[in-house]
Amino acid sequence: MPIGNLDVPIIGKNVVIAVLVQTHILFAAFIIGAVLIAATSEYLGMVTKQPNYERFARNLARFVVLLFASGAALAITFVLALVTLFPVFFSILQNIFFWVFLVEAFMFLGQIIIVYAWYNVWDKLAYRKSLHVVFGFVAGFFGLMAMTMIDAVASFMLTPAEVTSQADLVARSFLNQTMVPLNMHRFVGNFSYAGFLIAGWAGWRYLRTTREDDREYYDWMGHFGLLWGFAFLIMQPVIGYGYLKGIRESSPDSFNTIMLGDKSWVFNLLVLWIAVLSIASTAYFVHKLRFAVKPMETLRKLSVGALGFTALFTVLNIIPANADLIPQIGLVFGQGEDTQIPLGSMYPWKYIGLIGLMLVGFFVVALYLRASANGFHWGRASRWSQIALMSCAFFVVMTMVTMGYTRETARRVDNNPGYLIHWCVTLDQKIVGEKCPTEPLAGEVAK
Amino acid sequence: MTDLALLLLQAGSTGDPTGIGIFRFFAAFALIITFYCSFLGFTYWISKDE
Repeated sequence: MPIGNLDVPIIGKNVVIAVLVQTHILFAAFIIGAVLIAATSEYLGMVTKQPNYERFARNLARFVVLLFASGAALAITFVLALVTLFPVFFSILQNIFFWVFLVEAFMFLGQIIIVYAWYNVWDKLAYRKSLHVVFGFVAGFFGLMAMTMIDAVASFMLTPAEVTSQADLVARSFLNQTMVPLNMHRFVGNFSYAGFLIAGWAGWRYLRTTREDDREYYDWMGHFGLLWGFAFLIMQPVIGYGYLKGIRESSPDSFNTIMLGDKSWVFNLLVLWIAVLSIASTAYFVHKLRFAVKPMETLRKLSVGALGFTALFTVLNIIPANADLIPQIGLVFGQGEDTQIPLGSMYPWKYIGLIGLMLVGFFVVALYLRASANGFHWGRASRWSQIALMSCAFFVVMTMVTMGYTRETARRVDNNPGYLIHWCVTLDQKIVGEKCPTEPLAGEVAK
Repeated sequence: MTDLALLLLQAGSTGDPTGIGIFRFFAAFALIITFYCSFLGFTYWISKDE
């Protein structure tokens, strides 16, 4: 330890990092998703001439500009906390990923400059709309690149590559085994997360507003947000499977911990949140089809059937494999791991559940988009449909927090020891393991 | 009381779930939700008059 081992009283230093990073991610993911959704909405407004798209894009852009301060402040505080509380770990990360962090910093700078410019020249470029839309997409692109850089670091911490030369240090560390699937998972997740939050916000405003034109607008906004949220959510099982497959192949002990071992309850929690999101979204779609401008009773009946299948498949996902539910707090029934629960095993039931959920989800979205083509009567949605939207916003935040905890706890395995960088730096910052790329590299030792 | 204070002040709990570990788990969750809602609420508050 270079100077001293600082700690934070009561909550401990691990919690400090967890709180700062998780909160930062909740803002950062929203900002990246929201910028791209707003830019797409502005483009749709330009093409269709429907005023809702333009109003939505501009309001969302303003909110993102203001929210940037919170997201950025949390990022700086988090780096400060890491340097102070985990100096050995952070210096190793900086040593391996210097260029990656540098590129990330410039991508962040590019994003913030373009987002501010995008919002500020909204009126100035009113007659050059195509150019203005490009501003939004470029800002989104910078955000995605910044995310890609930090994903390389985060995935490396769980599945570090074996490094034997200076060239490996950059290339193999950057493109470690789970970097691409993690990046895909987060890319899709940004849209879904931002979409659900937008829908929840619209639901809240719909219930609060008293003006008829605002009710129509917020009703439309809830529909638009939920389409983004749910359409991207149903892509996640297959991408998430790819990510877990990468973890299983390169870090089987972590996979066993979070999927089969003592921490498998985190995945039960996760599918519980996804069950609520899926059922609430499908129920909203079923409800909304009643207000189609061109009545589509057949489509509506089909979507009611789809709602039943969604409920069936999500229940299949929720059933735990055995009675060893949450051993950490003593929530164990019967003989614990030896008491198998019917329909709870991964194969075939969870696969049936996840694949079924995706197929039914695509089916429902296709039906709903078909009805949307002719439009809806806005402003007539029921109270409970808006509560469904708000519950989606709440449970998507729970999903993000649960997934963040899952990935970080996967490196603890049996806590003997737990790692900050898997097989390399332990939780108490001891450097261990032959695979750790911190030893002087062959041929690279100072002459 | 002293035991509790010592327990709370102990360095990073890395052992298999202890009382302090469970406390910290929920403390972290509560702090995340508090910060998140506060910052979002503040951002809404400064933007709503436009």
